[in-house]
Amino acid sequence: MLQYVIAGLALGGIYAIASAGLVITYVSSGILNFAFGALAYFVARFYYFLHTQHGWGILPSAVVAIGLCAPAIGIVLYGILFRFMRLSSPLIKVVATVGLLVAVPSLATLIFGNQAIQAAPGLAPEPVRVFHVIGVPVTLDQVIVYCCVVATVIIGAAVLRYTDVGLKVRAMVDSPAMTGLSGTNPGAVSVGVWAVSIFFAGLAGVLAAPTIGLDPINFTILVAAAFAAVIAAKLRSLPIAVSVGLLMGIVTSLIQRYLPSDSNWTTEIVDAIPFMVIAVVLLYNLVRRGSFGDAERVGGPLDRAIVPQGESRLAGSTASALDAGSIGLLGRYAGPALLMVVATVLPLIVQGFWVGLFAQAFAYGIIFLSWTLVVGEGGMLWLCQITFAGVGALTASQLAVNHGWPVLAAIVVGGLVALPMGLIVGFLSIRLGDLYVALVTLTFGLLMENLVFTQNIFVNQGLGVNMNRPTFAGSDLAFTYLSLAAFAVVALFIVNLRRSTTGLALNAVRWSEPAAKTTGISVVQMKVLVAGLAALVAGIGGGFLAAAQTSAQPGNFATFAGIVWLAVLVTVGVRSNVAALVAGIAFVMMPSLAQAYLPTWTANIPPVLFGLGAIGVAKFPDGTLAQQGQAFRRFLQSRIDRRPAPLAVAMAGDGPTGTIPTGPSTPPAPPSPRVTQDVSP
Amino acid sequence: MTPTSPETVSPTAPGRPTGDVAGVPVLAAREVSVRFGGLRALSDVSIEVAPASIVGLVGPNGAGKTTLFGVLSGLLRPSSGRVSLRGEDVTEASPQLRARKGLARTFQQPELFMGLTVREHLVLAHRVRFARRRLLTDMFNPRALFGSKASEDERVDALLELLDLTRVAHAPVAALPLGTSRLVEVGRALAGQPDVILLDEPLSGLDLRASENLTEVFRRVVANPDHQVSLLMVEHDVAAVLALSSTIFVLDFGELIAQGTPEHIRNDPAVRAAYLGEEPPVSRTGTDLAFNGTDAS
Ligand SMILES: Nc1ncnc2c1ncn2[C@@H]1O[C@H](COP(=O)(O)OP(=O)(O)OP(=O)(O)O)[C@@H](O)[C@H]1O
Ligand SMILES: [Mg+2]
Repeated sequence: MLQYVIAGLALGGIYAIASAGLVITYVSSGILNFAFGALAYFVARFYYFLHTQHGWGILPSAVVAIGLCAPAIGIVLYGILFRFMRLSSPLIKVVATVGLLVAVPSLATLIFGNQAIQAAPGLAPEPVRVFHVIGVPVTLDQVIVYCCVVATVIIGAAVLRYTDVGLKVRAMVDSPAMTGLSGTNPGAVSVGVWAVSIFFAGLAGVLAAPTIGLDPINFTILVAAAFAAVIAAKLRSLPIAVSVGLLMGIVTSLIQRYLPSDSNWTTEIVDAIPFMVIAVVLLYNLVRRGSFGDAERVGGPLDRAIVPQGESRLAGSTASALDAGSIGLLGRYAGPALLMVVATVLPLIVQGFWVGLFAQAFAYGIIFLSWTLVVGEGGMLWLCQITFAGVGALTASQLAVNHGWPVLAAIVVGGLVALPMGLIVGFLSIRLGDLYVALVTLTFGLLMENLVFTQNIFVNQGLGVNMNRPTFAGSDLAFTYLSLAAFAVVALFIVNLRRSTTGLALNAVRWSEPAAKTTGISVVQMKVLVAGLAALVAGIGGGFLAAAQTSAQPGNFATFAGIVWLAVLVTVGVRSNVAALVAGIAFVMMPSLAQAYLPTWTANIPPVLFGLGAIGVAKFPDGTLAQQGQAFRRFLQSRIDRRPAPLAVAMAGDGPTGTIPTGPSTPPAPPSPRVTQDVSP
Repeated sequence: MTPTSPETVSPTAPGRPTGDVAGVPVLAAREVSVRFGGLRALSDVSIEVAPASIVGLVGPNGAGKTTLFGVLSGLLRPSSGRVSLRGEDVTEASPQLRARKGLARTFQQPELFMGLTVREHLVLAHRVRFARRRLLTDMFNPRALFGSKASEDERVDALLELLDLTRVAHAPVAALPLGTSRLVEVGRALAGQPDVILLDEPLSGLDLRASENLTEVFRRVVANPDHQVSLLMVEHDVAAVLALSSTIFVLDFGELIAQGTPEHIRNDPAVRAAYLGEEPPVSRTGTDLAFNGTDAS
């Protein structure tokens, strides 16, 4: 028993260090670093590179990797990225760190090579010495973890409580703006916090590597556990985060002790512990409702007053229902129509293998539309759309192949199975705020991936389950057009939604929750609604994807793959339907083109680029396509202005006069401080 | 509903039977307290708004006026006290439920929906109140895709006309100046035909003409015989409040220091002390009371 507690403390210690690293950056800069696990992996991989691959000693490797490289990464990230994001909306903060999460592992592979690593050493010399404390064996690795945890807690508490730096950090937590005014340089403090945070990431990564292995995928469990601790700590309380981390380690170890070690269930339960912690915390907070709401309100009235609102939102710049704008229908629809025509013609031009790829591209387009709904219209960042796609694909293949259903019916039912999942996850997380939506959906994806997608009925000895195509669209070309038609139907639905009362209400919710509520709109209801619709769309898209690939492979629906998808979409633009189509095509074609025409090592470049693209939303919230689209529309506008053809005039509609800027770009809002008093309960 | 003359300011007037609906205030707060950490933003504040009346709420900066609005509208949970709407306890009710029961508000810093036009604000508020189901069903109705835009309720157009917003009806609100934004806030609140509207400094940022126009609008909507509306108005322009309101409540440091008719408030020494920070000289008449005309910021 004691032995297991001691082993559990070591695991929990690693969780604790990781959650401490997450909490300090959240508290000081309002950024929850989703790339934390990826950065931990990067540092651990670097340590392995130095120590094992280049034969450096333990101490120099550790000093260079954890002591120098990790803080340097923190400083650089702060300098080039996070520094500019303190006042961005939670959505953009999450997207940027998600972009990092996508880019970093591929970057590591580019730098360090992609050999599979069987066993990674920790900080103890090999072979690891074992001590016997009151009859219990303790490895030196474990002892090192304890020392690190104790040092972290003591030094951390001392610094925060007794030093000038701690005072500054705590002041900045309350109000960066005030701290800035009173002469402290919040930048200097922040840079330190980021250095320390990534130092913790590196430390946790190196300490964890001997236990969990050195593969980016394995680090997900570390991250999930740290997220659980952080959620339990309501993102803020360092002591709670550390305690919950330790506790989870002990519970994990005890479960391993008391459950049969050879059973599949044991591994599954162990993997599910962080998710159970999260579920308990969420349910608890649902019962004691409302206590989470203010968690993301960093800073005081002054801080909110200087938020550059106009550019701080990912969502919200679509011209909406009733305003035709001076650009008119021609300008608005010329671009999308052109792209649809191109998408229709392309499959006719290319040959064989490439035709099938277009079917996949359009299926991805449908899945991406689910983000267009939930991010673009709902203003929430959902990280588990791939899971819904997986649910749709696996359900559809079971129904179509094992139960002989008509394929299209199976696909639709696959979507309908995903729908209630979206509603439930949404209902549990939405009232807690944007950040919790991202956290909870990410962990929901990981849970499904570990517990459900691993069932043999879906995995089928690694082969996956075959998926049929409808009999009338069996050929690649026919199915490609069927997928495109399905895409068009969903896209039209979204266009209609935007212009309907539902769309107006969603817009209201996105721009001002207090005003939406006092106008009588239920914010949670609208958001849950759009989340459910998005899950439905993702599920249907998943069914189409499986049919395009003629098999449903659970392995294709790993949560982190979905985050790459999101990065692709965000790079192109998450607000528009055509962006989803372009993103689908880019996502499928770029790797295949690279494979066909470029050396293999370049395969890791696209994820890095997409990751960087996602990070770029910090600057261009609407994505690159929207940027180009605006330029295109401005071009059209200038042509129209020069030569006012009767048609253009007629189509310009009853828009406002030239004095009022219109069009898709959000003009900077008047310098209106947010109403700070109206904290929603 | 029940005919009540606008002059009726005291719902608890003696001689009125307690069961009489006319005696029930449209909106009432009883002994509401709010704490922000160690700060007592409101202590045991009670106010009442009679049907079809204009009630003023004044007080220096930081007195707790906006906080009280937060409690009344349901965005803030009081640490103690009750709120009732037409006699019904709504302390536990969500903001959207209160809106459905006939409460609307505006915000001190306009909280507009930047993606929508002026007209859409009113259309949305109107539909939320009178065609709620459309929020959920409209997206399945292809009419939005092909439908005409002109067919909206005449109510919305009349309201736009009333507020002098017709000219900018199709402009996105993001481009509007502050004064016009306030009008849109008022329009959005009125569009749902509420029984009572909380107005948080509706006149600040408006030029003289717009301010007079809006004051006139307030008078007219309250006097409208078809639909009774009450207004609870926070305003730093005390002269305007005194002229408009039939009852006035004065807050200072989270406490109600005075309440009553404009005449009464004008002569109340506590109010003068709160505004001037000193005991006023006895000889002064109430009319030249120099309230500090602090603005919204
Ligand atoms: N969310 C909040 N957290 C902490 N303190 C708050 C919060 N909202 C308001 N306060 C404080 O409560 C007090 C009352 O504020 P409130 O905004 O209600 O005043 P007000 O009467 O509306 O002032 P003004 O005329 O400036 O609008 C102020 O001291 C304010 O600083
Ligand atoms: Mg106020």
